[in-house]
Amino acid sequence: MNGQAQADQADRRDHNGRHRAVRAVTTAVLRGGPAAAGLAAIGYGVHGLVGMRSATNPPNAAQWLVGGILVHDLLVVPVTMAVGLVLTRLVPAPFRAVLQGALLISGAVALASLPLWRGYGGPADNPSVNPLPYGRNLAIVLGLVWACATAVIAVRAVRAVRVRRARRSHASACGPPAG
Amino acid sequence: MTATYRAYMRPFIRLFTGRLREAPAVLRRGPLRTDAFSSRLHDPRVASLLGMWLGVAFGVCFLTGLVSHAMQHPPSWLVWPSRPVSLYRLTQGLHVTTGLACVPLLLAKLWTVYPRLWEWPPVRSVAHALERLSIVPLVAGAVFQLATGIANIAQWYRFRFFFTVTHYWVAWITIGALGVHIAAKLAVVRANVGRRRGERSRLTDRVSAPEQPGGGLSRRGLAVAVASAAGVIVTTTAGQWVPGLSGLDLLAPRRPDIGPQRLPVNRTAAAARVTAVARAAGYRLEVVGPRPFALTLAGLRGFPQHTSRLPITCVEGWAADATWHGLRLRDLLDAAGIPAEATVRVESLEAGGAYRTSEVNPAHARDPLTLLATGLNGADLDIDHGYPARLIAPNRPGVLQTKWVHRVVML
Ligand code: HEM
Repeated sequence: MNGQAQADQADRRDHNGRHRAVRAVTTAVLRGGPAAAGLAAIGYGVHGLVGMRSATNPPNAAQWLVGGILVHDLLVVPVTMAVGLVLTRLVPAPFRAVLQGALLISGAVALASLPLWRGYGGPADNPSVNPLPYGRNLAIVLGLVWACATAVIAVRAVRAVRVRRARRSHASACGPPAG
Repeated sequence: MTATYRAYMRPFIRLFTGRLREAPAVLRRGPLRTDAFSSRLHDPRVASLLGMWLGVAFGVCFLTGLVSHAMQHPPSWLVWPSRPVSLYRLTQGLHVTTGLACVPLLLAKLWTVYPRLWEWPPVRSVAHALERLSIVPLVAGAVFQLATGIANIAQWYRFRFFFTVTHYWVAWITIGALGVHIAAKLAVVRANVGRRRGERSRLTDRVSAPEQPGGGLSRRGLAVAVASAAGVIVTTTAGQWVPGLSGLDLLAPRRPDIGPQRLPVNRTAAAARVTAVARAAGYRLEVVGPRPFALTLAGLRGFPQHTSRLPITCVEGWAADATWHGLRLRDLLDAAGIPAEATVRVESLEAGGAYRTSEVNPAHARDPLTLLATGLNGADLDIDHGYPARLIAPNRPGVLQTKWVHRVVML
């Protein structure tokens, strides 16, 4: 190896080293920054939550915080899985996805408006809070969602029939004679 | 320098990332099995994309929430402007609408990562344990914020804490946990998102596998369903604050044109226990400043009358336009010799409560749109809207538009 090549190699090593150092610093800033800021924010939030006990009622707040995780992980997800399993058994392929999508939309819309159509909340003396016929309105909105879903299913059904017919006529034209 | 630094740090790095002894394999049953979760939606690329949307949405909620908090509890360095008139309508409307749209996003995100809850081995290293631990405040906080928010806008108070204070502090916990989460998952996101993600795939072992054929919802199908759900929720609720959309307002807790005098009410006179005092014949409006004076109802009407078209913009995310008439607050202040740079306190006839009084800074007090209103939409104020007189100022949350006003005091 001549001197020039050696110098080149050292140069490259140096360059690679610097490159790696730059990358390490970038990663540290990109990950360490949000992580440190995040931990500080969590600390600030916890401090405020326990510091204003009379307003935040920490035991009750903790019940709701932990309850949210438990209800989601041990109720919402298993129920969704069970529904998925039933759908797998009952509904054939090209339609199942549409049904799942429509169920997802229906569930999310119903959840986001749950107190309204269940009739929870709102002071008795103030008719301008929750004033609408929410049961009827939810039925209208979900009716539209399911009308769209039905239309998609119909399109898919027609397409499936066409494909099957095309395949059958293709088979009878080119296949070996039956019997 | 780098080498010595690394040598110095090595024991610490090993402490955090050294592999712990694996839990015995006999425990690996039920959801802990490798193939326990078969949905093809459990995928790091889907998780990354949904996560990015959720990150933007939670960011919007956090920032608009901070705005609302700062308006109600202004720090000394902040002078909240009275213009643009509908700034608070925008920030708080966005806050509630974005939060509602998060429902399908959050559920879908949690679905895509649910198998990670049953990850094997449960902990690989101290760093891994800490990372998993940071998921607890993240999921707890995210679910809590959405659930309590939805309950609160319907005024369904099943919890035994004061909503605004608790929602505020849990917001800090949630956004903090989100920061930690983003830091922890940055490599996974970079390996799974972006046109050049292929080059970054060795950043992590969590790389998206090609989608298997199947009859259920595809990854694209999930995206369509989540976007549609968010779209339906936004379309049927945003009308409670967006002008012109109230006809689509089917599933929001308020309708901008429903209430006495076609305007919603948050706190009725009966709830505030002011019905009798507000109607009493001896009513006087006192203005306390260098030249204090008091006005009867007739005296109020004797002042020059003005009309302002201003919205009530509620912290609960609804907003409704109305036409108010009455006297300009600044005319009253001038008559009492209160200087232009003074802040004033407006006091209600209520005996107590968090919103009995509110402070009006000079920007709002001197704005020509700010009225001490005695009339609404062409008639005298309804008792539930604050008869005989209420404050109405631009760009200010409804809870600070004090009703049943009987005193204005220079501070
Ligand atoms: C409220 C907001 C969020 C919640 C509640 C949430 C929740 C979760 C949970 C519970 C996990 C599983 C944790 C584990 O791997 O042990 C997870 C994983 C993940 N999250 Fe989030 N997340 C949120 C926002 C975000 C954001 C903003 C991003 C990206 C910018 C993101 C990207 C990811 C990624 C890439 C994974 C790993 C997926 C995998 O390995 O399969 N998440 N998230």
